[in-house]
Amino acid sequence: MRPMFLRLLKPGYRAWVMIWIISIFVLWEGLAWMLHLFMSPQQATSRLPYLHVVMDSFFRHWNTLAEQSSVTFGNAAIGFAGGTLLGALLALLMSAAVWIERTLSPYVVSSQMVPVIGLAPIVYGIIHNAEWARIVMAAYVTFFPVIIHTLKGLKSASPQHLELMRAYGTSWRARYIKCLLPSALPGLFSGMKIAAPLAVTSSIVVELMGAPDGLGVLMVSSLYYGSAQAGMFWATIMLSMGIGLISYLFISLAEHWLTPWQPEFRPKGGE
Amino acid sequence: MSESSVFQPKRDEGTTNGVTGHALPGERGSRQQAEHSSSSTDYFRTSTSQIGMKAGMLLRNLLPWLAGAIFLTLWQLRFFHVLLSLEDYQLPVPSAIAISIRDNAEMLFRYAIYSGTEMLGGFLIGSLLGALAAMGASLFANSGRAAVTVLSALNAVPIVALAPIMNNWFGDGIWSRIAVVSVITMAAMAVSLFKGLTSIQPQYEELLSSLAASRKQFFWKLRMPHALPSLFAGLKINMSTSIIGAIVGEFFIASQGLGYLLSDQIRLANMPLAWSCIVIAAILGIVLYETVVLAEKRLLHWSRAHTSAQ
Repeated sequence: MRPMFLRLLKPGYRAWVMIWIISIFVLWEGLAWMLHLFMSPQQATSRLPYLHVVMDSFFRHWNTLAEQSSVTFGNAAIGFAGGTLLGALLALLMSAAVWIERTLSPYVVSSQMVPVIGLAPIVYGIIHNAEWARIVMAAYVTFFPVIIHTLKGLKSASPQHLELMRAYGTSWRARYIKCLLPSALPGLFSGMKIAAPLAVTSSIVVELMGAPDGLGVLMVSSLYYGSAQAGMFWATIMLSMGIGLISYLFISLAEHWLTPWQPEFRPKGGE
Repeated sequence: MSESSVFQPKRDEGTTNGVTGHALPGERGSRQQAEHSSSSTDYFRTSTSQIGMKAGMLLRNLLPWLAGAIFLTLWQLRFFHVLLSLEDYQLPVPSAIAISIRDNAEMLFRYAIYSGTEMLGGFLIGSLLGALAAMGASLFANSGRAAVTVLSALNAVPIVALAPIMNNWFGDGIWSRIAVVSVITMAAMAVSLFKGLTSIQPQYEELLSSLAASRKQFFWKLRMPHALPSLFAGLKINMSTSIIGAIVGEFFIASQGLGYLLSDQIRLANMPLAWSCIVIAAILGIVLYETVVLAEKRLLHWSRAHTSAQ
């Protein structure tokens, strides 16, 4: 009963995702309609504008939105790449030298309990250059999840495999390329998946603190006009959510391509 | 620092990374890492003598404290100021931050309680909603998994964008931040718990179905106990995101709280007080996170997974 059930699951699952998304949109329109029944138009629009109004302003202001979001996304992506690189390198260093790991790991571990994004205004205050502040913040929030998960991945290398390689007298380079790096990759990717939306959020936070351009600025200025620009405000939110989602999906896709041996990517139903 | 060295002599020789009496956050983390890594590190140092190992261990336990002390000293001596050509008003020295914490202790404490209430309220509501969503979704194979996938899109919503929306809905009181935190914690909990509820070895399922277990028994006897480690993984993720949510939520429209004070003091260019907010928020975060970890250790002592954070 199970295998057949699982084979049927794939198309059914996709269809259900679509059904859920559509029902959310319908629910949105319905809720907005109800709000418009009971409240004045201004109040209702500032709480939840109709979805078609949001879509309308999304397409009407498409040029501005695309321009500003490319600024935000570009800086976030540069920072993300830099943070990932630094985090991965430091994780490798920590795995190679025990004393470095001992020194740094308490700080890396406690970093995940600390509101790192809270530093955004301070970083912006120090740097005073919107572009660099965004890049630095994105790199900063990316750095810690990447380092934690990459290190976890490096640790997950099977000791038996390492022992075997040692018995064969392989060089450290072969040990890294053949065993340690492949086992670190899934960890690196899960760190990157956590960090990607955070990097976008952090660069938007910097923009809210008074950067000259970017999606965050658009968000604040449309918020300033109240219900008249509510459609635009919601459009910026949808767009920033979309950017976060796309970056997440992009990394998932890369993960699928580069680490196809992970259990959840193996074809199901065969067992 | 002295604390950790005092505890060294008490250490049992037999245990490599035994339990010391204190529960300093950093130390706990490093101990976990060390336990985790013991297999691979032992492997590199089999030839070292027993005494050498003991001294080495003492040194290794002191290293993080030493690094922290050096970092703070360099900061205090304005090494970073020279390096990055900063002024004191941009980056205050630690002693100035400490003085500012002491001078504003009463206000910081009050605001920490306020922000802490937001975090905990949102954390509890969001985690509960997420857990309920995951439980409901686990009962339906296709549609449930799809619903959790759609719900996980909430993870991508920038927290900053939620603050003004919730402000429109719930006014500018404490409830708007609680709502922000609830929304961002809900998704993580739903995803994490759903994974735990559904990733069950087929053998167990086969055993239960061969024993003619009912759906209810399936859920309470197999899925729920199996999912408890994931529940706590979700709680741990949520604790740290709820702190970010509350602080960032207060950046916008609030009249109290650490995030409000932070953004307000930056506007007034009072950097020492702004940094004290960060320090207090960090301490609050670590304390609340440790509470969850402690609860997990108490309740899930049978689980092997509890040592790995998240």
